[in-house]
Amino acid sequence: MKKLVILFIALSTLMPIFAAGTEQQKPAAKGGKLAWIEEPFIYGLPGVNPIKVTGNIITAGSSTVYPLSERMAERFKEEGYSGTITIDSIGSGAGFERFCVAGETDISNASRPIKAGEINSARKIGREPIEFRVGTDALAVVVNKSNTFIKNATKQELAKIFGGARLWSDVNPSWPRQPILRFIPGTDSGTFDYFVEEIFANKPEPILAASNVQLSEDDNILVQGIKGSSYAIGFFGYAYYVENADALNILSIEGIPASAKNVDNGTYPLARPLFLYSDANIMRSKPQVAAFIDYYLSYVNEEVVDVGYFPAPEAALNASRQAWLKAMEGLY
Amino acid sequence: MGCMPMTSSFVFLMRYSKRMMDPHKNSFRRKVRPHERFIEIMLFFCALLSIIITVGIVVILVKESWLFFKNPQVTLKEFFTSKKWQPMIGDFGFLPLLNATFTTSIIAMSLGVPIGLFVAIYLSEYASEKTRAVLKPILEILAGIPSIVFGYFALTFMTPLLRGIFNAERVEIYNTASAGLVIGILVLPLIATMAEDAIGAVPKELRLAAYALGSTKLETVFQIVIPAAISGISATFLLAFSRAIGETMVVALAAGAGPNFTYNPFRSAETITGYIVRISGGDVSYNSIDYNSIFALGLVLFIITFALNFISRRISERFRQEYE
Repeated sequence: MKKLVILFIALSTLMPIFAAGTEQQKPAAKGGKLAWIEEPFIYGLPGVNPIKVTGNIITAGSSTVYPLSERMAERFKEEGYSGTITIDSIGSGAGFERFCVAGETDISNASRPIKAGEINSARKIGREPIEFRVGTDALAVVVNKSNTFIKNATKQELAKIFGGARLWSDVNPSWPRQPILRFIPGTDSGTFDYFVEEIFANKPEPILAASNVQLSEDDNILVQGIKGSSYAIGFFGYAYYVENADALNILSIEGIPASAKNVDNGTYPLARPLFLYSDANIMRSKPQVAAFIDYYLSYVNEEVVDVGYFPAPEAALNASRQAWLKAMEGLY
Repeated sequence: MGCMPMTSSFVFLMRYSKRMMDPHKNSFRRKVRPHERFIEIMLFFCALLSIIITVGIVVILVKESWLFFKNPQVTLKEFFTSKKWQPMIGDFGFLPLLNATFTTSIIAMSLGVPIGLFVAIYLSEYASEKTRAVLKPILEILAGIPSIVFGYFALTFMTPLLRGIFNAERVEIYNTASAGLVIGILVLPLIATMAEDAIGAVPKELRLAAYALGSTKLETVFQIVIPAAISGISATFLLAFSRAIGETMVVALAAGAGPNFTYNPFRSAETITGYIVRISGGDVSYNSIDYNSIFALGLVLFIITFALNFISRRISERFRQEYE
């Protein structure tokens, strides 16, 4: 028993020394490799050992990217990362506001490319945004399986269907004289913002003033509603269509169906790229940020489909990896 | 409304205590007991706390709704008369929400009131001890089911049932009829148990007198007992009504998620509580008009239910009949 106590005391006095040992590995980054790098390299990027990554990461931005980032952060933690990753879901614009103007965040999540004005304000606070493409989202416009009259819609038709028209026949005289039942994501969601931006030129009035609108943040309520009537229509992330493909029909937009191919080559009109943005100085001074992006770019394709989005084109993903290597030159 | 069960338990106590009273112990005198004083003070503070909490809620509701009403876009006239509610684009008429709230509650009451009352009559007048022993616990189980479960019951059982009976194209997937009927089931145990208490409080002498005059059991129940208990019963109905108005999960799940002014119970419409739950569930920024609007609606809801509870109290006080 006594021996055990002595052993315990000895261990607890030695602990801080071990801890100091790991602390000291960090500055070693100056001389050569970062502490968390391990063999083998994956897709040209250094392998990451999350157990050896220390420090916190602050990210904010798009609510569309949010579930993907959250999934990656979860996996990062499951594999041993002990710090805290903050992911604020505040919309792409607000995310850039915090990254480029306030300079509070390490990574900005975005479902649209950064604008020139935002790059300029970032430069004013000494940040040079680097773009990392991580995936693609295809907005699905869906109707009930028993709906036979609509298979395709142009953007103009979508504006009428979700805007001013009351009856289907108001949009196209050959369609039934039945009220359009609309099921759309709530006004807080990035999907709502994107749809309004893409179809209604950023003015939410027509879509909110329309008759028979059901808004919900819960996509399952939308799915239920559309399943419930032949004259219902709605839109949400592609993932929810896949889950309910037996009861729902997805419309092609401007004649182009939402398929992996059309999303990859960019022809599907409601496809949009998903990005992370960071800066080389942040990545070099906070190696945990570099580690997370490295990890993200290495494993995102294993998670992206499950979260409900499409993989980014291989070339775009490789460009992101090259951008990481360039930013971290000499540290791996 | 609490008077009915109280009288019955009082009568019970009197009867019981006669047997319990022991002549030897009758002589003990009042002693000063400091710990009783302490407990008394503690009980007083508990009562005070519940009052403070109520006042606090009202203050916050009024303060936050003031933010909504002082907004230059909002006028009281529009709030109470317009049939369009979409705060994000400047439509501030709360009638569609109020209309849907009353539609669901009235449907709920038209199911809950007759059934609840008949259950109460059966339990207190007709049922044998054996049946009571089975029925009462079942009613209590019904009262203990969480309202979210009732919500899914509406969505996955009641709606398909209605659509089967009245043609699926006429009945929308989210509709106020389904939500209303299920709220009716939800308030049924409340009505049944409270009405049973009211009926049970009617003294036995009244029934015996009716029998002595030659009335049948049915006549006694409907012409003597129910009229004698009417104050308690109507107070029960009003309480159940205010419970139906405040019900949230069932309407949030089954009634619809978009404001819609319609008298057709087969169409979807959002109630006051449904709107509050939808807006507060999302990630709305704190200073937006959407966010402030839910407090204004909360205040309206509070005023309605408070008024109903108040009226129910007044009724039970005014029409209460003393028999002892």
